[in-house]
Amino acid sequence: MNALLQVDGLTRRFGGLIAVNNVSFEVATGEIFGLIGPNGAGKTTLFNLITGLTPPSSGHLRYKGADITAAKPHQIAARGIARTFQNIRLFSGLSALDNIRIAQHVHTHTGILAGVLRTPAARREEQAVRERALELLRLVHLEQRADEAVGGFSYGDQRRLEIARALALAPELLLLDEPGAGMNTNEKAALSDFIRHIREQFNLTIVLIEHHVPLVMGLCDRIAVLNFGELIALGSPAQVQNDPAVIEAYLGE
Amino acid sequence: MDSFFNQYGFLIVSMTFSALLALSLYLPLMAGQLSLASPAFYAIGGYIAAVLSTQIFPVESGAPFPLERLLLEMLIAAAVSGVLALLVGLPALRLRGVYLALATIALVEIVRVLSLNLEITGKAIGIFGIPQPFATKLDYLWISGVLLLVSAFFVYRLEHSRMGRAFAALREDELAAGAMGINPTTTKLLAFVLGAMLAGVVGAVSAHFLNTWNARQGTFDASILILAYVIIGGSRTFLGPIAGGLLLTALPEVLRALAGVPGLPPLAVSFLQDGRLIIYGVLIVLSTLFFPQGLITPALLRRWNRKGRA
Repeated sequence: MNALLQVDGLTRRFGGLIAVNNVSFEVATGEIFGLIGPNGAGKTTLFNLITGLTPPSSGHLRYKGADITAAKPHQIAARGIARTFQNIRLFSGLSALDNIRIAQHVHTHTGILAGVLRTPAARREEQAVRERALELLRLVHLEQRADEAVGGFSYGDQRRLEIARALALAPELLLLDEPGAGMNTNEKAALSDFIRHIREQFNLTIVLIEHHVPLVMGLCDRIAVLNFGELIALGSPAQVQNDPAVIEAYLGE
Repeated sequence: MDSFFNQYGFLIVSMTFSALLALSLYLPLMAGQLSLASPAFYAIGGYIAAVLSTQIFPVESGAPFPLERLLLEMLIAAAVSGVLALLVGLPALRLRGVYLALATIALVEIVRVLSLNLEITGKAIGIFGIPQPFATKLDYLWISGVLLLVSAFFVYRLEHSRMGRAFAALREDELAAGAMGINPTTTKLLAFVLGAMLAGVVGAVSAHFLNTWNARQGTFDASILILAYVIIGGSRTFLGPIAGGLLLTALPEVLRALAGVPGLPPLAVSFLQDGRLIIYGVLIVLSTLFFPQGLITPALLRRWNRKGRA
């Protein structure tokens, strides 16, 4: 297996609470990897650990073989790991276009003086950034609203825009934190197709947190199950579905 | 017309200084950093010009101070302010919101106390007899007016460029900006340094303009005044601080003119003449109630644009 991300003995304590307890797994290049578990199981904390927002208490993270355990969020983003947030964190006062332009920061170079003087190189870059942003807006069907402030967008539009913003980082690994939250069954089915589509189009590896079991089972190549911070099962959807520990975690004894 | 400009030359140039200082506070605010340090760098810039022009490049009394030396002083003031901002900003910018504001007020106080006690800054007396490059106060507009235009152009272009968008991202949501690959520390530091450099340059010109420089320049009062320019003018577009600085500096003159209206009771006359800070306070309260984003907002500019096109 060609591991893109290696999580090795990762632990995070918040005071007396162990939110993530000695979790190890690997995510292979190109797969869609599901992360499920009851509320409070430590899924979002695990995302925050991977993206550097929360430093781990112990354990290691490796991305493409390089140790990123101590890296800062912006360094991790620059390495090609992008994410969305459970409670959408767009730049709500800015336009849809600006939200996506901002996410191209690490792939552009215009400094402060070149930007102010609009040198030929700066103009070329600006044009490229704009075209790429419009392309991504078209992908999520928001090109008509490029110049509107995103705070006024509907919940579903904001969810899709946040994915488009993450894609603007040109990541290899995309972490989606409950992308289907608040969507109905039809919307979830469309989301499922969309996620498969972007994996093909952008050659992505995707890790997603999701509660809706049919969506996870239908979409993911492999699934990890967390309960009280511990990894209790890891395998194909069929394996996980029949695992007694998983059934117990979800349904109780 | 000529007599108007001669009578109000001092005021017009002061208005441009205020607008420039408001821009210097607006620059870190673009990146979400509430820094009140502008008066500290303004004071330092002024002392640099005062010391250089009276001690290092003295001119015979009566002869005009060469303009290229003034420009050189402005450059030195910008460089020194920038380096100092880099050193101060690195620890200070770890603080957020009102805590950063408090730390920058402390910097303003440190500069004031140092200048009251150091030999080179002339202690409590300050430095006077700073040579004049121009024959009249209004002529300073050649420097301050051009500087305002250049700064306004700079900030306008900045707002529509890659780094300006990174500033805006930090202002909107620092955590998300980091997750999108923006380095919060260096980006905030850059905004802080730019604001400090501008304030330092304004101080250098202002020292010549005022002819004397002492520890009463660039104090905590000035921090609040400059903040008032930005809040009342508008903190979401570069035109807000400029409008705030120009209008609020002209306001006392307007009030003084109003106080001259015959038949006013003496209490009203003295209030109009001396109640400037009270009136600013009332204006800040009223503007937060009725114009929470300031007088000039991006929405207002969009409306003007549409009207202009129609």
